[in-house]
Amino acid sequence: MNRNTWQKVRFYMVSCLIAVIVMIPFLWMVSTSFKSKGALMALPIQWIPEKPTTAAYEKVFSRFPFLRAIFNSLFITVSYTVITVLSASMAAFAFTKIKFPGADMILKLYLASMMIPTQVTLIPLFVIMNHLKLINTYPSVILPAMFRPFGIFMLVQQMRSVPDDFIEAARIDGAGMFRIFRTVILPLCSSAIATLTITTFMEGWNDYLWPLLMLTDKNKMTLTLALNSLNGQYGTEYNVLMAGSLISMIPIIIVYICAQKNFKQGIMAGGVKA
Amino acid sequence: MKKTGKWEMAAMGAALAAALTAGCMTAAAEEEVTIKYANFNASGGQEETLEAMYEAFHEEYPNITVEIETIGFDDYFTQMQTRVAGGTAPDCYELNIENFAAYANKGVLAELTGIDPAGYNETALSAFNVGGTQYGVPGNFSNVVLIYNKDLFDAAGVDYPADDWTWDDVLAAGEKIRALDENTYGIYQPITFNEFFKVAVQFGGSILNEDKSAFTINSAENTAAAEMMISKVTDSNIQPNDEQMSGMGDWDLFQSGRLGMIPTGIWAFATFTEGCDFAWDICVEPGQTQKATHFFSNALVVNADTEQKEAAECWINWLASSEKAAQMRIDAGWDLPAISNDEVLASYLEITPPDNRQAVFDSLDYLTVAPIIEDYALMSDIITGKLSEAASGKLTVQEALDAAQSECEEQIKLG
Amino acid sequence: MSKRKKRQALLQSVPFMLPSFTGMLVFSLLPILISVLISLTDWNGLDKLNPETLSQHFVGLQNYAKILTTSEFWQVLGHTLYYIVLYIPLVFVASLGIAVILNKNMRGITVFRVMYYIPVLTSWVAASLIWKWVLSPQYGIFNQFLSYIGIRGPSWLTSEIWAMPAIVLASVWKDMGFFGLFLLSGLKMIDMSYYEAARVDGAGKTKQFFSITLPLLTPSIFFCLIMSLINAFQLFPQVMIMTEGGPNGATQVMVERIYTYGFKYFKMGYASAYSWLLFIIIFVLTILQMKGQKGWVHYES
Repeated sequence: MNRNTWQKVRFYMVSCLIAVIVMIPFLWMVSTSFKSKGALMALPIQWIPEKPTTAAYEKVFSRFPFLRAIFNSLFITVSYTVITVLSASMAAFAFTKIKFPGADMILKLYLASMMIPTQVTLIPLFVIMNHLKLINTYPSVILPAMFRPFGIFMLVQQMRSVPDDFIEAARIDGAGMFRIFRTVILPLCSSAIATLTITTFMEGWNDYLWPLLMLTDKNKMTLTLALNSLNGQYGTEYNVLMAGSLISMIPIIIVYICAQKNFKQGIMAGGVKA
Repeated sequence: MKKTGKWEMAAMGAALAAALTAGCMTAAAEEEVTIKYANFNASGGQEETLEAMYEAFHEEYPNITVEIETIGFDDYFTQMQTRVAGGTAPDCYELNIENFAAYANKGVLAELTGIDPAGYNETALSAFNVGGTQYGVPGNFSNVVLIYNKDLFDAAGVDYPADDWTWDDVLAAGEKIRALDENTYGIYQPITFNEFFKVAVQFGGSILNEDKSAFTINSAENTAAAEMMISKVTDSNIQPNDEQMSGMGDWDLFQSGRLGMIPTGIWAFATFTEGCDFAWDICVEPGQTQKATHFFSNALVVNADTEQKEAAECWINWLASSEKAAQMRIDAGWDLPAISNDEVLASYLEITPPDNRQAVFDSLDYLTVAPIIEDYALMSDIITGKLSEAASGKLTVQEALDAAQSECEEQIKLG
Repeated sequence: MSKRKKRQALLQSVPFMLPSFTGMLVFSLLPILISVLISLTDWNGLDKLNPETLSQHFVGLQNYAKILTTSEFWQVLGHTLYYIVLYIPLVFVASLGIAVILNKNMRGITVFRVMYYIPVLTSWVAASLIWKWVLSPQYGIFNQFLSYIGIRGPSWLTSEIWAMPAIVLASVWKDMGFFGLFLLSGLKMIDMSYYEAARVDGAGKTKQFFSITLPLLTPSIFFCLIMSLINAFQLFPQVMIMTEGGPNGATQVMVERIYTYGFKYFKMGYASAYSWLLFIIIFVLTILQMKGQKGWVHYES
């Protein structure tokens, strides 16, 4: 076997090994979703269900206003992600390339806001939302996307790596700030933006405590909320919960696959020459 | 013209009286009303039953519309507290025993005036009466019984547990079963506050004194109770310790056929029916100097700020004590309604397994209510924490109870 | 910068900063300021939140004094630090490894990328059961594996010493895909021309890694370090699900205490004070890190 093939084989072997380790709970979820009611949480774990059945999946579709919940989740999460990416990239651009006075302090302020656990700001924020009459509206879960310091900070780090020469070149060409933002920065940070899209989509999709508080109307319920109602006082129907959770993971995986196609190797050479 | 005879008068009077007590909305309030009701008890599989109950209610009271919210148990209390603090709590909702006292004592619950106490089980109703004021009605109730594996008892040659057993009998039987096999255990009883306060009563002690003005955690009787609970793990090991449990749940241990006895709630019946491939049955929990059994009940309460108090009371009263709701609850295999009507409860007896369902009702004679105080959760955590330390050998039982006593006295104000 | 340029920069920045700044004021700063007020009271978290209630319950700095004089605060802080010291290096190494592996463009790489991200998507309910099983002293594969190399594994989740390392293991497993993704995108942004120049100069793969990849990756690494530190201090869901703070309080961490005081014991004022003390600790550590970044983080511009 020549060296190149051996390297490839070794790569696949190592990756597969790690992948298996990483996927074990996922496999348990799949296995459990095909079990009928019974000792779902017994140890040692029963990997292949004795009597596999699709009963759990049928329950998921019949019990919830499933389509409605998916629509709500999609609408809310997509809006949330779009707003986050726009707002965060704009802010990161301002912080790193416009260098306005006070930028450093405001960035520290943004960062500091992440250091307070949400448990103690939960009730105050709820009261504020109530005063704004936003309770039980879609904006109540979408508007907070305007401020996501995590995303802002991440983009700041990536944008700092974009050489200022590009900006200078564009400005000499006569481009205004927005044009520079759109045509220079965004394309160069495409993999960072793709990453932000993935993580934001995931967080927005899986968020449950805040939507639980804000969306009391059954018709506005998201898929994640619907799944949480499976958690009972005396026990949880784990097979239905796992079936629903697996279905819920699909949109995120789709977004992931599409977004990571944007992970093009940085092609900066050639940008300055023009 | 025919004069209205006295029979007719009596009949009319009776009909009028019946109308007044059966209907919980006075004639004046016949307008259309919509109220909001939040609960967690229906989550995990009984939403349809609750919906069906509502349909039946709405037929009887077409002018009352109830918007029902069923929320998962784990997040229910966080969101309920937030809504109460934020002023947007529903008109009526459900609480468990742990949280009930806190809510009642902080004045966020309405005093219930429009309910009929006669329809309820007395003990259950009294649990939600604080200082003479009724703040909630029991929406359901379950109690704890001793469930045992008949096959293991046969194998060990021991008589089945009986209602008059004491802990001495249980421990003796447990040892014989433990001797069967290295991996087989006699009994599993969690070492937590929930079990402790009840076992304390079984030994003649209690957590608080009579008028709930002082803690009596480290009394001699309580110490004897705790010694029994802990020594069966650490000394005779007829109960597995944490390492031997190895992450497995107690129900799963029982279902795997390796546990002789387990005191647990009647809500386990459905699970055990499906999961056990051996014969099992139940009996009343053992006592020591006296018998005491657990009961759990969720309270249905009314928001102190609601504008629809009558309608809210009407709904929760119906849900908790009407015959219709009670029957639907039993038929759906949900939990027991806390009512005083024995006939309805009788149909519960007919479902087997287990055969000895009568034990569920016999246990009602010895019901012991949890010592409900405002800082219930804190007290429970302190005592459970100290008991765990004793169970893992860090403290002696006496030290643990003394520490629990002083910590509770320090951190919790009573009366 | 001259005054005129400063003003120009300020004006230019306004439209870009507006959404996040407004959002911050309404959704972040305001609730945070309110929580400061709450921390100066003994409000129970249940009475309606309004100025009258707060002034009724005012107690000044009493909560802070109380917290700092209990041994619980320091113990809990110790547990949290224990977690951080174990977690951060491990998650960093694991994420970097994943990012490097996933950086190839071989066939099927997308499949691998998805697989490595799946733990991030898995709920803690499923993950904690599996980890309880993996670490089970009797049935678990981890201890079995250790026995092959002659070590007798501890009773992880029920041991006061090993419970926290167990939680670290589970957390690293869950988060490495998350941070790996960031590092991967950072890797992707490194200009190929550097590698080409190095290859022309005759540098081998290892030399390339240490003198090109790592230095140019430092902005992403710095980001991951700061984020994982802030997150690690706020460790919560896995503790609640896997050990509930046990055994005997060995895995009680700060946010677990904050949640318990605020939502279980109805002592929201106390909980708020607790979280402000946590904030001060995180803030100081982060500032130190940021000052330190000048020493090793390398920005291209």
